[in-house]
Amino acid sequence: MRIAGVEPRNLITPSGIGELAAVVRELYADAKPFAFVGGGTELELGNAPRALDTVVATTACNRVIDYAPEDQTITVEAGMTVAAVCAVLAEHHQFLAFDVPDPERTTIGGAIATNAYGGRRLRFGPIKDNIVGIAIVRPDGVIAHGGGKVVKNVAGFDIPKLMVGALGTLGAIVSATLRVHPRSESGAAVALRNLTAADVLHACAEIVNAALVPTSIVAFDDGGERYDCVVVFDGFRGGVDEQVRSMTGIAERLQFDASRPSPAELDLLKERERNARREAPWRVQFGAAPTTLAQFLTKNDMAGIGRIYYPAIGSAILTGNDMNAATIERWRRALDAGTVVVAAMPLDARGAVDAWGAPPPSWPIMRQLKTNFDPKGLCNPGRFVGGI
Amino acid sequence: MAAVSDFIAIVGERNTITEGSELRTYEADGLPGFRVRPAVVVLPETTEQVAACVRLARRLGMPIVPRGSGTGLSGGALPVEGCVVIGLSRMKAILEVDLPNLRMRVQPGVINLNISRHLAAAGYYYAPDPSSQSVCSIGGNVAENSGGAHCLKYGFTVNHAVGATIVTAEGEIVSIGAHGGEPDTLGYDLMGVFVGSEGLLGIVTEVVVRILRTPQATRTIFATFPTTDEAGAAVSSIISAGIVPAAIEMMDQLAIEAIVAATRVDWPLDVGAALLMDVDGVVAEVEHTADAAIAALRAAGAIEIRSPRDDGERTLMWKGRKGAFAAMGRISPNYYVQDGVIPRKEIVPVLRDIARLASEAGLRVANVFHAGDGNLHPLILYDGRIPGQEALAEHVGGEILKTCIRYGGSITGEHGVGFDKAAYMGDLFTEDDLATMQLVRCAFDRDVIFNPNKVFPTPRLCGDRPGVYHPHATELAEVAGRG
Repeated sequence: MRIAGVEPRNLITPSGIGELAAVVRELYADAKPFAFVGGGTELELGNAPRALDTVVATTACNRVIDYAPEDQTITVEAGMTVAAVCAVLAEHHQFLAFDVPDPERTTIGGAIATNAYGGRRLRFGPIKDNIVGIAIVRPDGVIAHGGGKVVKNVAGFDIPKLMVGALGTLGAIVSATLRVHPRSESGAAVALRNLTAADVLHACAEIVNAALVPTSIVAFDDGGERYDCVVVFDGFRGGVDEQVRSMTGIAERLQFDASRPSPAELDLLKERERNARREAPWRVQFGAAPTTLAQFLTKNDMAGIGRIYYPAIGSAILTGNDMNAATIERWRRALDAGTVVVAAMPLDARGAVDAWGAPPPSWPIMRQLKTNFDPKGLCNPGRFVGGI
Repeated sequence: MAAVSDFIAIVGERNTITEGSELRTYEADGLPGFRVRPAVVVLPETTEQVAACVRLARRLGMPIVPRGSGTGLSGGALPVEGCVVIGLSRMKAILEVDLPNLRMRVQPGVINLNISRHLAAAGYYYAPDPSSQSVCSIGGNVAENSGGAHCLKYGFTVNHAVGATIVTAEGEIVSIGAHGGEPDTLGYDLMGVFVGSEGLLGIVTEVVVRILRTPQATRTIFATFPTTDEAGAAVSSIISAGIVPAAIEMMDQLAIEAIVAATRVDWPLDVGAALLMDVDGVVAEVEHTADAAIAALRAAGAIEIRSPRDDGERTLMWKGRKGAFAAMGRISPNYYVQDGVIPRKEIVPVLRDIARLASEAGLRVANVFHAGDGNLHPLILYDGRIPGQEALAEHVGGEILKTCIRYGGSITGEHGVGFDKAAYMGDLFTEDDLATMQLVRCAFDRDVIFNPNKVFPTPRLCGDRPGVYHPHATELAEVAGRG
């Protein structure tokens, strides 16, 4: 196992949260640098740690602590996989709106630490909107909680939000209380084909205009410069049918080729969306205002680059075999108002490419946060933004 | 006083308040019973002026208490001795509307409702709708992570305020979160932790919010019940059936009485409880959801179910609900507002416990609250002219909070901890939890100059780390159960 290209000396898998805290406490006392790992589906993310002695896996902390279907919340240990949580929820016709690279492997803690998302973010919000409470093991081994078990709560600082996307640099996520959702009675999709990025954005604007409420809008490159865009609706049957009719009407008006994809085709596309996150040597995640991102995708040469495009979220994942430091640099210059994160790259590119790009203006506050949580700088040092 | 002239030099004489009845306004916020006279109040008009005031206060060693509209109910804007209150009410410009990217940039003094009013003609709105939305400011909403009736479906301020310009404790102007419509920012989610930080981490001088398209249709349903038991059961059955209404509000008999007395709404007085509910979305979905909700209400034992005849009546119904706190004046000389949260399935037993606490104390308690997310607002009625009644009301309020904690809930769902509830934080969080929050605070404000005596039960300076390690109870039990 390598963490952003660096191989640790040891891998420890504590059997429970108490043991995990004890392990971390000891590493901290011994001044041994460490990092945390869940299912290991995003080990490429971030810069190479400056030092790494031990990797602590959360995977054996994998119990359901409390499931309250009537309250639509579940509290689980962070090493549970997303698929395992979903299996528990399915018994009560509920689900977790986490789109992750590999649900069978990706853990809850890992999904939170990497701020994983996919198409359903449009309807259900980012991961941070779906967490109501958290327990962490701080770098010094102390267990601390934030938030609670109820869906509405403003007592104390929102520690759960701070842990989302922090890549375990402020400690390990060891349990979380999550907001879950009722499964829909019905679902349907409309596929719009052979669109430019501008067309895709145009379709999104019309969807907003018509006050439709899609679950997801995901566009896939068609192998060339254009996109196939899939719009999914969920809900009660009548509402879904009505939205599909409206969507087809919009497509006709815009003279876009629209069809109803078969379930098999939808499964293939979903698989493609996931594969984009795990297979290519280069993976670059873009975030920008929807209009800015559409312009970027239009103006830059996208030949030979795999694209999963979330037009209404303002996000795109670009994958390929032969990107390099100069490509990344050019894209970063072209997209000045947004983020360009290199989520995976070949080992030999690591020296030349900063995974995050220039840190934001608030970085001094972030650095201070890191220093306060991890005064010795032992927890995943150097992996995060700006060398944090 | 040298300090005053220095503040005047920054914000001008007309924006500096040092005496008289005007200063009295700033001695308290919406939490009654506590008043502290600030040394000076400044009302800056620009971000630069806010920054200069912070730097000056820092140089003078004056604590800083930020303030929005002063409608907060937990004493978050209560001054401390010798402080400067920095009020944001003069910064009320709408700076930018970006409809294609569903974003809007506003100054902190903009009144919550004015955001939606500004967007209404174009068919958009801002979702969080605290009952005080016609007077509370967006800056205050950010500080408190304000909620409101429609947060059940759409989320709270933290889900809608995505970026901000803040003035730090060093008097620096820093942008946090997403300003340009991008979905995420690099690094830690500072905006996520800033929202709801109750004025302890900085002063917000610009806010970027998400805006939403107005739904195709909204249907309002009003239902009455013999007692709060049936109404509470109806809420549980609607939520467990997977129906997601935009809002479900409950009012008990006393609350209905007060609302009817204060407004023209024609609700019956001989019922034990009422629910006011909105469902919204695409037309066919709304019809289906409304029918399913009505069936659930009926099955739970509703006496009467009706929908408003027109938009006018709908507005009136919601006005009645949102004006419920103020309406209490019709039935009681004084009242104490409580704000607690419980798991939604526990509404019925908790309301019974509250009724028992009230009757033991010989006081009346009216309940009007966000039932859909279990956010209770018991209004403890008392007569301040009778010696001891105010203290008794506060005591009942405290017991209600302990009840919420016992049922696995929280001491505040939307009003904040502020000054009022700092003492209860230790019942909800461990020392280690609170120390961890202090690590966050000290990253923003190491000298603790912002709102020094709020939220945390025991004042602690940055750099004070708790002593030797002691195992957490959950650690010993091999669970970390509270999440």
